[in-house]
Amino acid sequence: MSEATIRSTRFRAEREADWQRLEKIVAQTERSGVRSLGFDDARDLAVLYRQAMNSLSVAREISLDKSLLDYLEALCSRAYLAVYAPQESLGGLFRRLFVYGIPQAMRRSAIPLLLGFLAMGLGALTGYMLFLDDNTWYNTFMPEGLAGGRGLSSSREDLLSVIYQDDTSALDELGAFASHLFSHNTTIAMFAFALGVFVCLPSFALCAYNGLILGVFVALHVDRGIGMDIFGWLSIHGVTELSAICIATAGGFRLGLAVLFPGNLRRRDALRREGRDAVKLAIMAAIMLFAAGLLEGFGRQLVQDLDTRLMIGWGVGALWLSWILFSGRGQDRKAAKE
Amino acid sequence: MSTPAIVKRARKQRSTRDGRMIRDFRPPEGVPLNFEVAGLGIRLAAQITDLLITSMFVLVLVLFLAATDLADGSALWIIASLSFFFIRAPYYVLAELIWNGQTLGKRICRLRVVSADGRSLRPYSVTVRNLMKEIEVFYPGTMMISAAALGPGEYIILLIWIGVLLAVPLTNKKRQRLGDMIANTYVIYQPQAILMPDLTTRPAAEAREKFAFLPHQLDHYGAYELQTLEKVLHVDTSGHSQDIARRHRRNLKAISEKIRSKIDYTDKVDDKDIPEFLEAFYLAQRRYLESRKLFGDAREDKFHKHDEKSAAL
Repeated sequence: MSEATIRSTRFRAEREADWQRLEKIVAQTERSGVRSLGFDDARDLAVLYRQAMNSLSVAREISLDKSLLDYLEALCSRAYLAVYAPQESLGGLFRRLFVYGIPQAMRRSAIPLLLGFLAMGLGALTGYMLFLDDNTWYNTFMPEGLAGGRGLSSSREDLLSVIYQDDTSALDELGAFASHLFSHNTTIAMFAFALGVFVCLPSFALCAYNGLILGVFVALHVDRGIGMDIFGWLSIHGVTELSAICIATAGGFRLGLAVLFPGNLRRRDALRREGRDAVKLAIMAAIMLFAAGLLEGFGRQLVQDLDTRLMIGWGVGALWLSWILFSGRGQDRKAAKE
Repeated sequence: MSTPAIVKRARKQRSTRDGRMIRDFRPPEGVPLNFEVAGLGIRLAAQITDLLITSMFVLVLVLFLAATDLADGSALWIIASLSFFFIRAPYYVLAELIWNGQTLGKRICRLRVVSADGRSLRPYSVTVRNLMKEIEVFYPGTMMISAAALGPGEYIILLIWIGVLLAVPLTNKKRQRLGDMIANTYVIYQPQAILMPDLTTRPAAEAREKFAFLPHQLDHYGAYELQTLEKVLHVDTSGHSQDIARRHRRNLKAISEKIRSKIDYTDKVDDKDIPEFLEAFYLAQRRYLESRKLFGDAREDKFHKHDEKSAAL
């Protein structure tokens, strides 16, 4: 280097080889992941990345070479993305989510969960009472697609034939109806969660409305003297499915409560903080809905016996409950510390 | 006295040109990085690619069900739409986790999701932004497809909904949709690193001797003009047609004349020496400006004298 070269040129010439080596390592990382790097490359990636960041910082001060600045900028950005990539394996991630994440989030959301179940319970009670008062309420609340042909004019035998349907020719039809019901409930759950942001009210309304439908539907069957049979028919999937809706509603409530009572945070930040648990509730609801779909699609058609239906439905319910209550217990305090 | 209007206008024009950059991104090392914000058009293209990929899965599943007579008719239709959801949502989340913020569509379009706080992308953010996508993009999308079956009231609600969801990313500079805001993420272009040769090593020793510049001649321009000249000098016409090479030579000639008249450079420059002259000028100008900058006198552009004046007053 002669005396005549300017400072920023010398700066660049001294470091160019390192940058190019970093570029090569980063390119390999982008192609096939950090795991594909050898020991030397992995060690140098961290060192060279910090050096390049340093170079960028210095170059911004001393150099007016636009092409150099652009290059360093892009190189550092790419190296940053390679270095600060999520390092956890998918297996570890799922394990953490299912063993600690979801159960702990559920336990932290006891009050919103209670409110969610209360909303549906109140809705169901109201629907039931209204039906007893005047049974034309049935037509008001029951959406046509959900009724599956069961209305006020259906006789006891009609209703029973839907509940215990071992005739396989009707299986497809019933399958379609079950899927319809399922998609209805998925939609309700999704909205109950997402609309919770608007200070909880839409979630509450949706959950209670779902309760109303349930109430009048049960009341119709009780009216025809087959209350226990419909209880079994609903139990096998409903324990899981209706709980899922309540849990999604509880997730919505957490968002709504963050907006209503942000405490010392800005509403935006409060929403972000509550969002962490709310999303876990949403994942829980999605898993339960999926399980309910399986139970509904297969279980309800294959199992025609009332007692077995009750056992499966509430047994699965007990499994969910024990997961939520007992999983990841010891880690609670550790999580609270963090 | 404040900066004259003409200076303000020129500078504003330049700053709007790079308005699509994220300037406040700070990694843990504390050196801010600038990323280019991805526009909605290219994001839509990536989205459509992903949609095609996920619908392939669903198609295979549905064909399998139809072929094995497990379901038919409306049941099949509903199973298709549901499995679409149960395949799509995990696909986006897992893909963005495994490939650090890229789905296959984003990979093809060279886009990436980054965490706005400068840390690594967290599973939580990825989940949130993709769950919100269901509500923001896919639900209204499927409603649109079945728009014919909607009543007028529902139709209006749907339109308002879509309007609001489109307005959110269009009204903020970083093009964040609602999911991005809640998850605190940006969608950016994957940066490309190309290192051009250093122009200051180009002029030979005799060229430096031949074209000498005095300090007052280097007082006119600022960093912006220097870097514009750099861009022009980086143009390499060797792989192009005669016509382009001729036009480039004409540009260089015009630029050198402009510079010579502005800095009062009276010596004659032959046509064949023009590139050499410009490179020598670039070297001298850069050396001068960089040393001025080291002494605390950073000159943004040729209007720097206005800044000095307004600072003095």
